Amino acid sequence: MKTIGRALAVAVCLSWTVSASAATPERVQITGEIIDTWCYFSGVMGGPDAVVGSAHHTCALWCAAGGIPVGVLADDGTVYMVLKLESEDHVAGGGTIMDLQSDRITADGLLYERDGLKYLVVEEVVSNEGITNPNHEDYGPVPPFAIPDPNKK
Amino acid sequence: MSGWPGRAALAALLAGLGGFGGGLWWLTAEAPDTPEMGLMAASAVETAAPPPLPESVAAALPFAGAIGGSFTLTDHFGDPRSEREPEGRPQLLFFGYATCDAICSVALPRMAETVELIEAAGREVAPIMVTVDPVNDTPEALRAAMPAHHPLMVGLTGSAAALAAAQAAFQVDSELLGETPDGAPIIAHGSFVYLLDADGRLLTLLPPILGPERMAEITLSYL
Repeated sequence: MKTIGRALAVAVCLSWTVSASAATPERVQITGEIIDTWCYFSGVMGGPDAVVGSAHHTCALWCAAGGIPVGVLADDGTVYMVLKLESEDHVAGGGTIMDLQSDRITADGLLYERDGLKYLVVEEVVSNEGITNPNHEDYGPVPPFAIPDPNKK
Repeated sequence: MSGWPGRAALAALLAGLGGFGGGLWWLTAEAPDTPEMGLMAASAVETAAPPPLPESVAAALPFAGAIGGSFTLTDHFGDPRSEREPEGRPQLLFFGYATCDAICSVALPRMAETVELIEAAGREVAPIMVTVDPVNDTPEALRAAMPAHHPLMVGLTGSAAALAAAQAAFQVDSELLGETPDGAPIIAHGSFVYLLDADGRLLTLLPPILGPERMAEITLSYL
């Protein structure tokens, strides 16, 4: 389970301090979970431990489909905003992300730091472990209405 | 992962439900062709090249030079509008649509509040929404909808081809997913806010997850 330390690290990552911009991108390999950045940072659907993994997978799909940028939540708590993903030709868009949402991946790509944010251009997903955080066992679906009741008229 | 139904099972469950809250069918569906609207396009757009951006700004841009570009659209007063802001103000540009109650309902109020914060700091910025719904977002429809977000917010529309060109320039994806029960479109679309200078050149990106205070702080750092 993630810890408060992760949230703090994220807060630092998105701190109000405008960092110096990197003049050139840095080639990086990042391992972490593809997350729904809106629900993760806004807290509207729950704490950071609840809005990741299997518990939040359905909501994360809706958010990504609706245009919410996705991020990679690295093991150290850093969140990398995904600007582009492999073959997609749009900024943080396209259908590929739907196949990866909530998965733990390792991505090769280019890291840009700007305005205190870390942006990642994913050139290749070199491994995909699938959804590895079964936190629905603790939280159930988050939010519950993300999965419509098939019996509801 | 005991108890986890799996992505395929989940997708199958949702696909059987239909509607925005239910189906995943649209993830692979092709967007229908959008009819041309035949709106008046700008006929006289300045062509003089703006001066280059400071190296400190341009060099650090992701996809330097690849995001943004010229466009020729129609504002919500029916007047032609290009990427250049007529009054020389920097611009906050967002792609959305008037009836969107998803990400637009988050991003547009944040843009509006950002404008207020920047104004309080003694500067001006022009908030602009380029529609991804040329069928419904006529100048009249945008003229009715935009002031609800901010008095200065300008809605831009145009022919499907002109809007597609603008989307392509800013690498914005959009897809018609379906309709609400009352017939309004549901359109998925990219949601970054683009900070442009008065000449329409990209200064930086603003993820819509940022709060207005942060958006304003970043924006002011470029003005």
